[in-house]
Amino acid sequence: MRVFLTILSLFSISILPQSITFDFHSPENIKKFADYLFCQGDYLRAVEEYESIKNINFNDTINFKIMLCYSEIGLYQMSNLSEVRLSNSVFKNEAECLSLKNRFKESSNSFYQLSEIQLYPFSTEDSFTLNYFNKLTSASFLLGSSELISEDEIINPFDGSETKTIASFYDMKTNPPYKSPALAGVLSAVIPGSGKMYVNEWGDGITALLATGLLAFLAYDNFRADHKTRAWIFTGLDAFFYAGNVYGSIAAAQIFNARINFEFSEGIKLFLEQENYFLPQYDFCN
Amino acid sequence: MTQNSFKLFYILLVISTSAFCQIDNLKWQKADLSYENPNNFIPRNYSFESDDPVEFVTKSFTNAYWFFISDVDGDNCPFRPSCSAFFLEAAKETNILQASLMFFDRFTRDMNFAKGPYHYPRVRSGYFYDPPQNYTLNQGRINYLPPVFIVDDK
Repeated sequence: MRVFLTILSLFSISILPQSITFDFHSPENIKKFADYLFCQGDYLRAVEEYESIKNINFNDTINFKIMLCYSEIGLYQMSNLSEVRLSNSVFKNEAECLSLKNRFKESSNSFYQLSEIQLYPFSTEDSFTLNYFNKLTSASFLLGSSELISEDEIINPFDGSETKTIASFYDMKTNPPYKSPALAGVLSAVIPGSGKMYVNEWGDGITALLATGLLAFLAYDNFRADHKTRAWIFTGLDAFFYAGNVYGSIAAAQIFNARINFEFSEGIKLFLEQENYFLPQYDFCN
Repeated sequence: MTQNSFKLFYILLVISTSAFCQIDNLKWQKADLSYENPNNFIPRNYSFESDDPVEFVTKSFTNAYWFFISDVDGDNCPFRPSCSAFFLEAAKETNILQASLMFFDRFTRDMNFAKGPYHYPRVRSGYFYDPPQNYTLNQGRINYLPPVFIVDDK
């Protein structure tokens, strides 16, 4: 009896599971798996699964998800290819916005040129997309180095708290808190190190003041003691430190200004990321 | 018959388990780990590669500095490129006078004890990254990197 039960259990364990047919590769199950990957943020693998069932199980949601996946993994041109298939679907507006976002991500600093060459002649029916386009154009103007358009034109497409943030970015763009390299140089020429202090490099400024001051004192002391050779060595060294400090103060002011530019553009990019590039919210996972 | 089958099954199980198990020698053998600090020494290039007389002068100064001071003193410069390499690169980028000014400015910044860990970006080996391109007074050539940034040594 025991032997019989053992054999029976061994057979049932090893044979029965295999006998149940479960088609992991049916389009429905591939879609379920792709949806799972999509919700986990694994867009690379999700898009591969969606692509494999796109022609069998065609629908707008899958197409839009493919577009989203490609956009998330940075394949913007592939993403925009899906837009054509969604031109008459319920996702028409969303797909157009996503396509514009892709174009913005590809060339954020020159995106505003699209409006200048009127590549997108929107009709009045497309007011949603037009407003979205204007938002990205405003952001592009702020990021780019071209002549800024008026504050009203920049702010108009936005509403609510976005307006306030964009207005503050506009103020920072028009009145950046730059430091003058010329003034930094002049300050260091008058009092060594003060130009560095002016650009908030306090440690470097104090070090420069001490170094030039100490070498000047050594030169003076050696001249007074009639040690001409040493005195001239210290004088020469002091002259180089002094001139180097004036030069360095100008360079430090330029680096300070480069930091302002860097923080400004990073601030805008962070804001755009936080706002998800003003795209409408989709909820495919809950 | 059944008993023989079970015996055969157990024998096969025992043989396969023991044949394919992880042997003790492999499991407990000494791991080849190195606890030495990585050597960040950059081999000196003393050769005079260029025919340019200005570069010849700067290279002579740098070689003399390396031979008589730097190699004896050890690797003490907290920056990459080091101050002498900075001078050489600056001379290639600009001219000898401007390079000298850049070098004395760099030397002053090197003497600053309050540089702090959050002032310059770093290379992977931990040194402050401070390239001469940022000091040529050409605003377009400045590549500002935030202090949290880690630059590849190469």
